Amino acid sequence: MIMDTQLASLLTAGALIVIGIFGTLFLDNLIKKVISLAFIGDGANLFLIAMGYKAGGIVYIFLPGMSMSEFSQNAAYPLPFALVLTSIVIGASTMAVMLGLIIVLNKKYGSLSASKILGDN
Amino acid sequence: MSTENLLIPLMIIIPITCALFLNLLHEKSRVVKIISVIVALLLPTIPLLANYGIQYFGGYAPLAQNPTIATGLPTFITGTALNIFHPAITYVFGSAQKLMITILGFVALFAIFISLYEVKKPSGVYIYLILMGVASVMAMLLSDDIFNLYVFFEIAALTQVGIVLVSKVKNNYETALKYLIVGSIASPMLLLGIALLLGVTGNVNITDIVYSIKTGLVDPHSPVLLMACSLIVFGWLYAAGLPPFHTIKSAMYSKALPTGAAVLQAFSVFTFVALGVIIIRIFSYLHFAEIFILGISLIAMVLGITMAITQTDFKRLIAFLAVGELGYIGVGFGLGTVFGITAGLFQAVNEAVITALLFIGFGTIMYKTKETELKKLGGMLVETPKSALLVLLAGLAMAGVPPFNAFQSKLMLVQSSLNSGLPEVAIIMVLLSIVTFMTFMRAFHTIYLRPKPADLVIENENIPKVTIVAMVCLLIICLVFGLYPQLATNYLQGLAMGIA
Amino acid sequence: MIEYVFMITTILGAIITLLQRDLLKAAILTGIPGASLALLYQYLQAPDVALTQAIVGSAIVPVFFALAVYRTRRVEE
Repeated sequence: MIMDTQLASLLTAGALIVIGIFGTLFLDNLIKKVISLAFIGDGANLFLIAMGYKAGGIVYIFLPGMSMSEFSQNAAYPLPFALVLTSIVIGASTMAVMLGLIIVLNKKYGSLSASKILGDN
Repeated sequence: MSTENLLIPLMIIIPITCALFLNLLHEKSRVVKIISVIVALLLPTIPLLANYGIQYFGGYAPLAQNPTIATGLPTFITGTALNIFHPAITYVFGSAQKLMITILGFVALFAIFISLYEVKKPSGVYIYLILMGVASVMAMLLSDDIFNLYVFFEIAALTQVGIVLVSKVKNNYETALKYLIVGSIASPMLLLGIALLLGVTGNVNITDIVYSIKTGLVDPHSPVLLMACSLIVFGWLYAAGLPPFHTIKSAMYSKALPTGAAVLQAFSVFTFVALGVIIIRIFSYLHFAEIFILGISLIAMVLGITMAITQTDFKRLIAFLAVGELGYIGVGFGLGTVFGITAGLFQAVNEAVITALLFIGFGTIMYKTKETELKKLGGMLVETPKSALLVLLAGLAMAGVPPFNAFQSKLMLVQSSLNSGLPEVAIIMVLLSIVTFMTFMRAFHTIYLRPKPADLVIENENIPKVTIVAMVCLLIICLVFGLYPQLATNYLQGLAMGIA
Repeated sequence: MIEYVFMITTILGAIITLLQRDLLKAAILTGIPGASLALLYQYLQAPDVALTQAIVGSAIVPVFFALAVYRTRRVEE
């Protein structure tokens, strides 16, 4: 293969972040802005996951029958994964708040255009 | 040792549990009032009573301090740096944390009391948001774990948005959405910075990261660390409201209720300190980082204070002044000397108190007139002589007039910048203090001294006694720190020596 | 080998989502990068994260977006 899995995942994460930032900056529709923001968050999460990946390693669950040394030498690094669990939930809740605000603002302005709603203050 | 340290996690746990409980009690205003008063009183008292110490969550102390587990482990664990690394989320409660958390607790206490007595029916949701925010900012000050800090960073951002949402000020939803969108870009960037630090050092504990960098376990000048530094600084700029985020941050202050604005600015000040201390601790070997902090602080001062001059809305004016004053803290951090950092931390404590006082004081104008436009106001001195005097004293304090506390901290900042061979910075700081004073006096003159416009409707409600008492208490804190600055600097010096 | 397929579907799914003019379609299409990421996490040795992401990314988030679109307007102006 041309590149290993870890590098490829890091590049995927980078691509997601770049797509997200482009979307946030250049799309006018608020819902699409929020979708782009969700992609930025996903990219950051994938980046963390790729940090913990170990080529040729095993999942960090200690099953009966494994020897201690074999586990400690081969298991992936679990700390980033624990962090991502929190981060996914935080991202989803922030997004829910934003969507709620967008629903309220759509009632007030009758539009979803960012330049109309956020432009003048 | 364990029983005294129990108070350290309780500082965070009590506000969060009570906040969640208050959120359920939506209609029962009596119960809400009683619980809020008790929790508000607990906020500053717990840190005052707590002993200094380190809290390891789950009891997982480093192996070096935990001989029962350490015996029998192979030497590639006990013989290396792994022996002193922190496996648990660690909260460090030192003297500087004690002072800052107590001050934050006092600001929150007064904000909660005023909001309880200024409205007929206290809203559990508003108190809930204030308590959540206070708990998360306290956790950011205590936490020695950079991911734990990120989680509370997000909670603090959401609660700030919530405080703005419940305020019913015109156009608050737009500002809140804007702040959330900007925040949803900035917080993944902070997370990426943390991910890079984690990737390089394999750790999220700041003490361990610093250890790895200082002892050469990782290459300090690797480009990945530079990238991590810039990403974390980006998150810091957003959380503290430094340029380029100063407009959105000041808009947030001006769209909140006066009590909300008072706690919001305290959140920004202490988030600024928490993240700034971490940046200096980890990246102080990068000379560029300190220069950047100094530069961005100077820009914040100039932009914040000059933009305050042109405002026509007095809440926005105070909001921009608050952002500008943040720059003074950053100057102390950017100088990087022990004296400079102590001065910066002292300025942070002072600013949290003074700006809260100003927001609450000008809030009484809104209470009486429901008006924030400067040109529609006037002649309020006759209506509210007591609060006018207190606001005037607060303004003098903010500008750095003796005998108030900001005079002492600004004097220390000027001295430390002269000691570091940067007289230009000192001159800019003094000049901007004068401009701050002039801007404040213009607002004060327009609101209180000039003749009352004919169409101004003043409601016949007296300002609650609680508001006046709270303002007097905040002013007493200002005076005490102004007359006896050693009271504060002795507490703050330990942290400054640890990170410089 | 199959993880490269998921990486490509993630990126392509994200781009296609943002190119839609129909917002309901865009909302539902956000499930594609979400689900691909969940499968990718499984191949990156993180099964617990994969479970969470599968629920949040491919079910909850698209439903949230779809609800928001349902309560506002469907076509981008």
